[in-house]
Amino acid sequence: MRSCTYHLSSSNMNAVQPNSVPQGLVTAWDTVTTALLSPDLDNAPSEEALSDHLDLLCRCGAGQYMEGWLLDTLHMNLTSAVAPEFWAGLKLQDGEEVQERRRARVLLQAFRTLLARLEPSLGGLEQIGRWQDEGRAGLSGPGAQSLSERAFTGIRAILLFSPPDLLHERMLEFLSRTFAVHMSQAGQAAPRREGEDEEEEAAMGTEGNVCQGCAVNPHDCWCKEALKLLRELSHILSRLQLLERVSSEAVTSILHKLIEQRMEQRCRGEYEISFLSDFQGWLDQVLGWVSRVFASEVDVSRMASSAAGSGGERAVGQPSSAILQRWRHHMQQFFCRIYASMRIEELFSIIRDFPESLPAIEDLKFCLDRTSQRQQLLTSLKTAFETRLLHPGVHTSDIITVYISAIKALRHLDPSMVILQVACQPIRKYLRTREDTVRQIVGSLTGDAEGCTDLANELSRADPVTLETQDSEDEGSDPEEWTPDPIDALTDKTGSKHRSSDIISLLVSIYGSKQIFIDEYRTVLADRLLQQLNYSTAREIRNVELLKLRFGESHMHLCEVMLKDVADSRRINTNIREEESRLPPEEQPPLALSAMILSSEFWPALKDERMELPAVVTQAMEAYTHRYEKLKAMRTLNWKSHLGTVTLDLELEDRTLSNLSVSPIHAAIILHFQDKASWSLEELSGALAVPQEVVRRKLALWQQHGVVREEAGGRYAVQETAPSSREKQDRSVLLMDSDEEGDSNTATQSEQREEKLRLFWAYIQAMLTNLESMTLERIHTMLRMFVSSGPVVTEMEIGELQAFLDKKVRDHQLISSAGVYRLPKSPHH
Amino acid sequence: MKVKIKQWNGVASWSWVANDDNCGICRAPFNGCCPDCKVPGDDCPLVWGQCSHCFHMHCILKWLNSQQVQQQCPMCRQEWKFKE
Repeated sequence: MRSCTYHLSSSNMNAVQPNSVPQGLVTAWDTVTTALLSPDLDNAPSEEALSDHLDLLCRCGAGQYMEGWLLDTLHMNLTSAVAPEFWAGLKLQDGEEVQERRRARVLLQAFRTLLARLEPSLGGLEQIGRWQDEGRAGLSGPGAQSLSERAFTGIRAILLFSPPDLLHERMLEFLSRTFAVHMSQAGQAAPRREGEDEEEEAAMGTEGNVCQGCAVNPHDCWCKEALKLLRELSHILSRLQLLERVSSEAVTSILHKLIEQRMEQRCRGEYEISFLSDFQGWLDQVLGWVSRVFASEVDVSRMASSAAGSGGERAVGQPSSAILQRWRHHMQQFFCRIYASMRIEELFSIIRDFPESLPAIEDLKFCLDRTSQRQQLLTSLKTAFETRLLHPGVHTSDIITVYISAIKALRHLDPSMVILQVACQPIRKYLRTREDTVRQIVGSLTGDAEGCTDLANELSRADPVTLETQDSEDEGSDPEEWTPDPIDALTDKTGSKHRSSDIISLLVSIYGSKQIFIDEYRTVLADRLLQQLNYSTAREIRNVELLKLRFGESHMHLCEVMLKDVADSRRINTNIREEESRLPPEEQPPLALSAMILSSEFWPALKDERMELPAVVTQAMEAYTHRYEKLKAMRTLNWKSHLGTVTLDLELEDRTLSNLSVSPIHAAIILHFQDKASWSLEELSGALAVPQEVVRRKLALWQQHGVVREEAGGRYAVQETAPSSREKQDRSVLLMDSDEEGDSNTATQSEQREEKLRLFWAYIQAMLTNLESMTLERIHTMLRMFVSSGPVVTEMEIGELQAFLDKKVRDHQLISSAGVYRLPKSPHH
Repeated sequence: MKVKIKQWNGVASWSWVANDDNCGICRAPFNGCCPDCKVPGDDCPLVWGQCSHCFHMHCILKWLNSQQVQQQCPMCRQEWKFKE
């Protein structure tokens, strides 16, 4: 549009002949331009005279030069005089007292002068624009709006092409001050909540009697003046259409700084309350200040209608809603970004504090929806996990606890579970490398682990997610309800519907197989049942039932048989007891023996330790077996002599120790001492058929009780009279750690695995001897065929097998070349 | 010194008194149970034939039911008779 009118006018200009100057044209030009530039002069020409002159000018074709001339005058004036004057005015004279209030006034004064200098030209331009709009005297041109636009573009270009930092500094200082003033006034106006007052004051750093707004003594307070100055400044800037250019940057940086400051002060480390509404209220107050700064800025649409009018006509104090809207949006956006960044940084702590930190998670969720910081969150959280959690200094149970918290918190944060899946990948990977992970998880599932009841609660939740159904493909979800994954989702084989948020499924799937957990649980259950031996299984039955809901009936079958064994044993014991009680007194067994009778195929492998029990015990066991055989035809009992518990009383010369609960080997040892008061290690070891080292360790218990004493020559003897307290003290210190016992009755996982591998190795060697060389796959298939029908029913992953074979290669027991394995030529010994 | 045992809780495992470990029909251990059962022992007993071979009761019954003509021990092909 503008360029079009420009061409028009320039072509007109060429048409004018320079040498045909009509009479009176010079006078007319002078009169009209003077009237335009200074309409208020005393000797202003009358309206008719002006019209006549204007007519003359237009007739001669000089009318269209006026606007060009005016713009040129304006720009030249600006470049040569006004702008330098403005910058000079902004500077303070040397030695002048540097006071904030003074600086604010100087700033305003500089703008006042600027306006005064430019006002005549601007007025002239407006006048000419009006004439053009009216089409007076045939005057044509771009019109008022376009003319002033051109003028202001020129002003902005010349004045602010490279503004010195000083202007920005001054604006920043002045606006900050008005902000403080505004906030303190708004704070006084609005009824403030308890406690906030003090906080605010503390934040402002007030020392007794200092005005909160302008930070000087109350009697020097210039709050009102500051606001007045602001109003005028805003007005001037708006008149010059410089408001946005000059203030925006300062306003933006003030807002950013203050939001950040406030957030640091109030929100950091505080997760238990939501700050969204608090900040919303605060931002509304701040918006009041923004509206003051931009009080005189006009709407673009309104500018069109009132462009011709002078600034004074515009409604002061009512900035256009569009501008405020923009600022509100800007603040909102900035708040969300800063807040989200801070929470992301703190996310690890927030997760650790979950569920107390739920408000913080909610806030973060709100902000994340409005900013694109998911990637930042993922990276930061992953790093936090790796540096703070996944190192050898953290106990496995703590890692699991944090992981559970993370599951709970993140599924709240992101219902699509993508963040959960991606961010927790390192935890899962790391847990896989910890040996006691399974034991910890199973322990907390059954409520054994100290302080970790989350999983036990989770297990007894009302609507368990069956682990089985997760594997099935045909989940009848409505295709209409399908929503695409967020872009940061992992592109792996598990689709969105497999992305589980169930804590137990997630934990169990760490290893990709639930069998390992079931085996571990079986071991734990066996330990528990064998250790307590009181036949009360209510809790275990409940756990097994709950686990059945999760893992499926068939997998828990073995455990059910174990529990049934306990119940059966109790019945058989009662039965046998009854039978015994009917015997005449002299045939009553010397030992009250009861038994836990196991179905060996269904229990985990028990540690195989042999031990000779004293005759009195073996006789009782034989009698018991005898009665059992009568009760259950064609069945017999194999006693595990080292398992069980014994309750006994010890009667010594001067004291009695009663109701000691010890293991069978301890009981056997002390029974031997009953027969003979002094034993050497070799003798005991021989009598018990147990290695000397074990006997020595077991003896420690009796030494601690002060019943047995080690004498010179390596012999042990009963101590019939209590040792002096001093002696006792020495002893207990000495023997503190001597009864360290492997607390599990079952062979450990690694022991069982080793056993399995030894078996495999025998097969592999035999295969390779016959077939010379085989590929990994072939070995795997063959093993599956042979071994699974053997006594040890086991499965072996191909990866596990490869690791095993590679280890053998490293040990030079196997050769691997060109993808096949073979035995070394000369067998390695 | 006098030791008074008040209670001795022992642990034992039961097993069938049989001349083999595994059932000749299902190949599962006698001390376990036949493929159709879940609980060993009383619920899945063993039976002996006069030929002295023994099987899970459920296994041998299934076998005998499937024999149309003569009822023989699957191990020794003698006529199957339950040991009294």
